[in-house]
Amino acid sequence: MTIRMTELTFLEQFAPRYGIPVPRHIEGTAKRSELKRALEEWGGRALVKPDVLAGRRGKAGAIAQVDNVQDAIRQIKRISGTEISGHMPRSAYLVEKVPAAFEMFSAITYNSSFLQPSFSVSLEGGVDIEDVPDDKKVTMPVDIFRGLDAYQAGELIEKLGCEKKLISELSRALVSFWDLFVSTGMLSAEINPWRITPKGKIYACDFKATVDDSNYKSKVPGLEFPDYPENISAFEEEMAAWNSSSHQGQAHVSELGGSKILPILFGGGASTIITETLEIAGGDPMFLSDFGGNPPYERMLGTARICFDHKLKDAKLLLILGGKANNTFIDVTFQAIADALLAYIDEHGPIDIPVVVGRGGPRLVKGLLALKQALEYLNLPYVIFGPDSPVTLVAEYAAKLVNAIPENKEVFS
Amino acid sequence: MRAKTLSDLLKKGDRIAVSNITGREASKVSEESQKYCANIIGGWALGKGGEIIQTSGGTIPVFATFEELMRLTSPEMHPNKIIIYSPPAAVYGEIKEVVDHGRESIETIFVITEHVSVEVTAKAYSLCRDAGIDIIGCNTLGMINVHDQVRVGAVGGDSYREAFPPGSVTIISNSGNMVNTIAGYLQAAGMGTAYGISTGKDTLILTPVKNLLELARQDPLTKLVVLYVEPGGLYEHEAIEVMKQTGFSKPVVVYVAGTIAEKHNISLGHAGAVVEGRFTTATAKMAEFDAYFKIKAFTTDRRYRKTSELREILQRGIRVTALHHIPKAVRLVCDTLGIPRDISSAKFLKLNPWFVNLGELARQIPHELDLAPGNIPQPYARQVKEQEQSKLGITMSRQNMRNTSHASSNDGVTPRVYGYSLMDIMSEKSFTAALILYWTGELPRDQFEEKLAEMTLIAALTNGPGTISAQGAKLSSSAGNTPNTAMIGTLATMGTTHGGNGAEAVRFLIDVFGNENIDDPYNSGLDVDVIAKKSADEFKKRKLSAKEASLEYRRIPCLGHPVFRNDPINYDPREQVIYNYIKSQGRTNVFLEFYHRLVHAIKDNGSMNKVLAVNVDAALACVWLGICWRHLREKHMTIQRAMDIPFIAFALGRAAGGAGEYLDHNDFGTDMDMRIPARDCRVLSKPRTL
Repeated sequence: MTIRMTELTFLEQFAPRYGIPVPRHIEGTAKRSELKRALEEWGGRALVKPDVLAGRRGKAGAIAQVDNVQDAIRQIKRISGTEISGHMPRSAYLVEKVPAAFEMFSAITYNSSFLQPSFSVSLEGGVDIEDVPDDKKVTMPVDIFRGLDAYQAGELIEKLGCEKKLISELSRALVSFWDLFVSTGMLSAEINPWRITPKGKIYACDFKATVDDSNYKSKVPGLEFPDYPENISAFEEEMAAWNSSSHQGQAHVSELGGSKILPILFGGGASTIITETLEIAGGDPMFLSDFGGNPPYERMLGTARICFDHKLKDAKLLLILGGKANNTFIDVTFQAIADALLAYIDEHGPIDIPVVVGRGGPRLVKGLLALKQALEYLNLPYVIFGPDSPVTLVAEYAAKLVNAIPENKEVFS
Repeated sequence: MRAKTLSDLLKKGDRIAVSNITGREASKVSEESQKYCANIIGGWALGKGGEIIQTSGGTIPVFATFEELMRLTSPEMHPNKIIIYSPPAAVYGEIKEVVDHGRESIETIFVITEHVSVEVTAKAYSLCRDAGIDIIGCNTLGMINVHDQVRVGAVGGDSYREAFPPGSVTIISNSGNMVNTIAGYLQAAGMGTAYGISTGKDTLILTPVKNLLELARQDPLTKLVVLYVEPGGLYEHEAIEVMKQTGFSKPVVVYVAGTIAEKHNISLGHAGAVVEGRFTTATAKMAEFDAYFKIKAFTTDRRYRKTSELREILQRGIRVTALHHIPKAVRLVCDTLGIPRDISSAKFLKLNPWFVNLGELARQIPHELDLAPGNIPQPYARQVKEQEQSKLGITMSRQNMRNTSHASSNDGVTPRVYGYSLMDIMSEKSFTAALILYWTGELPRDQFEEKLAEMTLIAALTNGPGTISAQGAKLSSSAGNTPNTAMIGTLATMGTTHGGNGAEAVRFLIDVFGNENIDDPYNSGLDVDVIAKKSADEFKKRKLSAKEASLEYRRIPCLGHPVFRNDPINYDPREQVIYNYIKSQGRTNVFLEFYHRLVHAIKDNGSMNKVLAVNVDAALACVWLGICWRHLREKHMTIQRAMDIPFIAFALGRAAGGAGEYLDHNDFGTDMDMRIPARDCRVLSKPRTL
């Protein structure tokens, strides 16, 4: 799991801590008089930016330049209410407009070629790095133990043609950027652009990063990652909380917007393939799920309950499918699913949808028979496959079956 | 890489050490692996040094640290492969320990652990690279070398032999589970597996596919490679670049998963976490492979003519768009290039439903979707038969019950027994009803059942001070013990012979009646005389053949009593009260009735010279089996629980009786009065000198 970090968090919490020079800023919720004073101190020009998780530069036109407090307030209101690439901003803020003689791009990320962190830099900042020609940017591996030192950074920017008088200060700023990256458990971080003023002063003028949730450094007291209004459903939210409550077994779901098949799927690889097959075959899966990792009974029971509570009443078919497990005990997981199904029907009343099951793995027969017994008790139509039936064929069958159910089928009485 | 070919990563004769070997996952997988290939020479786990893990493939010693393992293991037995199963926070320390103390002998480290931070992963790579050690993972499932019959990790689960027939295909997969699945699919193409490797699926894949392909190129057993690829990283982009440069000589069949991530803008939680430009998406990887192969992805509609051009193309390989197309694509490649089949009898991929009950829905859907049950393959068919044949009882799924209970709960407000408020039970139910609930999970069906259960508890209270269980309480009291210890004295003198014979009776009754179709033991409709005669005759046969061989014979439990045994027809008066109460209610307990007919039948067939008493243990067994029967029939209860309950009922009653003996003895007895004077003790040995 990754946590995304925005410029405002960087400006408020991280830049001061790591001594990275940044333009002055003020939150959009500040009083009018404070905004006015800030504008005056900054020379009358500022940018209004959204604090939003949307990725690309320019934030789809949601950045406005202002030169008086009335405009600033109007833009703060507009921008904080503007959805950007499907994301609503948490707030908007005012940041000092820094004049630039030139701009620089820098990024640090873990690199699959080096299998180490890599440091990228270009003196053509302020644009998407993919748009910069290869001879104008450079990437080098960084030794994870030794880190990035000022000589390495200096050598790199000198190679790109940086003026000699700027190299020392820029190098120090880039080393601070590395310190920030490695001290907070980041996966990737980008400062783009650094603006270098005609007087040679340096400012980090935009920032974005992802933080590795598995890294203990991301959980240091005092470091806070704010919550953003995300387009996440109550189902995803509850499952995410449930998943993070224990390391035993996975419980990942992502809404797909489908309306037919409720898929309880096992195994990262298998669940992806099954879901893709369901989509291609018209199964219209409600969500992508991955519930492997040998969950104990109570974990699987809780996972299945959340799925049923949120989705079962609208589902046209329940699909319980996975490949041949290596570690996951099928009797434990299937007994838990059966019990969750029984509990749901006990609480919400009968349902009448077919159930398609396919699985392999340790203690399979006991698990299949436990589920079969529950389905018979509940009088639900079912087809159960073993590991000799390919998961993708089972998924195709489930998609065909759900589309063959007559619309006016008699409801359970 | 240190390895030059795939067998350098894993081969017969490798000596494997496992970190955190006593952990849940590690111990389970190690036990299974040891059964398969006995290649684990030891493991280590903090605080567990000196323990031994017993497996059917041999014992595995556990050391406190890796350093200790190296120090206490002879040099020729030093491990050359390591499996890391430690929790994420410990992974860096473990790898550092291995590098520090095992640099001389360790060739490869497999990191199974999930959720290792990317920073630690990069550090692990750096440490291992500098030490000249290959590292696979993190988050790998492991690897299997099929020809050498060795594996690390859980590849193949517990059915590796069935899943991996030896052959000439090497599977390299981002997903561990897909290694097994693809190995199964390959059998449909008549192909077996040479190696199955799970690369791991974290952001950094420390042995990338380009390296593994190079090892596969050098491997003489590998004729073809199947790749399972997920989005994220430049791994495939670089592999293709290397293949182009080296003119990779073995065909590759590729399946790329994960277009769904792009379509719905979601993360698959795998390597896709860090996107490094345009070559990392599933779509980009598909396009790159197709461009390298110089052919569009395999389709089942197209007819592939085996021209020299196709041969040249398939020498590089082909991509498939559905996983179940792998067998057909592999067959096409093999047939075109003249690669012989590994397996003569190929299993075709098709749907084979094991259990079907579509009910009314079957009439409303197209005929081709109304599947008929197929043949369940072995060994599953045998397991199904075994489990379905048993009409009684269920085998429960096991789990960690440390802080878990079905029987009771307390939410801080209301203590409950199987969901019922204890306060409600106290107000509205009897103690016996509460016990039936606690022991069976359900309240008694009626007053009759409750009354019978109560009679068994009263019957168990005492059979006089001479019973060994009463003596247990009196002995304890005589020694000056407290009431609870005296009751334990009573409980401690019970066993399968005294008090626990009811459990044996339940087993016996289930053997006799298990296959009869009894819904209600008080309304069975069975001819009990016939069943009793049959059992008596079987007993006679068993007794005679044992006597001929001068052997002890297995007796029928709960017949006869040391006190009630001197008449031609004997009765245990406590059992009589229960039997007569049932009769007085116009009912018949089929089990107790059977017992009564049985004692006559074994007298009539000459096995006994008198009619034995049906003792109180039998009555307890019959009453409680009557209560448990519907739960057994509905498969809500294990047979073991049904066997335990009569014993528990006896123990509860008799422990209460023991308390009575304690109170009496404590008031009136003298200290040590239970001691037998030395003069009253018989000596059966002669004095000896040392």
